[in-house]
Amino acid sequence: MNEEERQEILKRIPPDWLAEFEAAARRPLEQRMKYAFIKTYRPVMDDAKYRSFDTMKEYREWCRRELPDWLGYGDL
Amino acid sequence: MATFEYKQAEEVRDAFERHGCRYLFIGKSGAILLGFPDTTQDADVFVEKSTKNGEALVAGLRDMGFTVTDEQAVEIKRGKDFVQLKNGPFDLDLIFAPDGIEKFEDAWQRRVDVQGFHVCNLDDIIASKVASNRPKDRESLPRLISFREYWRTYLK
Repeated sequence: MNEEERQEILKRIPPDWLAEFEAAARRPLEQRMKYAFIKTYRPVMDDAKYRSFDTMKEYREWCRRELPDWLGYGDL
Repeated sequence: MATFEYKQAEEVRDAFERHGCRYLFIGKSGAILLGFPDTTQDADVFVEKSTKNGEALVAGLRDMGFTVTDEQAVEIKRGKDFVQLKNGPFDLDLIFAPDGIEKFEDAWQRRVDVQGFHVCNLDDIIASKVASNRPKDRESLPRLISFREYWRTYLK
């Protein structure tokens, strides 16, 4: 990929996102991870120490049935 | 319960390495390791489903301080499709059959290694989110797809 092709691709990225990607690329991984992982309480989801599901289908159904919609794990 | 940070990712990498467990960071946590600037609560690993790998996985989890009962160990070794662990030093989701990815071996061949962390390729992370089709995935997809474009130019 030459510089012209690279610039063409970068032009398609919204400028605010591009600025964020470039800022992140300048930070070491350790610092990026410090900013990226957050911990807030999620009702139901965080109320058990261990859960397992035989199939992903079963897991998705459990999410739809049990979790509040606003957590974003349900259907579109 | 500690928030997942670089140190915890190192623990995962090193414990799984010691026991020979084949894993790949996946989901937004994988994308973050590849440089995607976003936030997440979850550290997700895609684990190869096999008896041998299951044994290595359980040994690695116990090394890290997860409380895995014998009954849970049997389940994990057998390879459930999805296991959620909140019984250790940090939360960890084990995914044995992510939506949108046919076989572990294919994803392993396409993986990206970042500072010794094995990470799913962005194509696989995106494919998995597209297949999951949950609101939270759909929300992050346009930005993640743009990041893939950026990432590709960055690599070449």
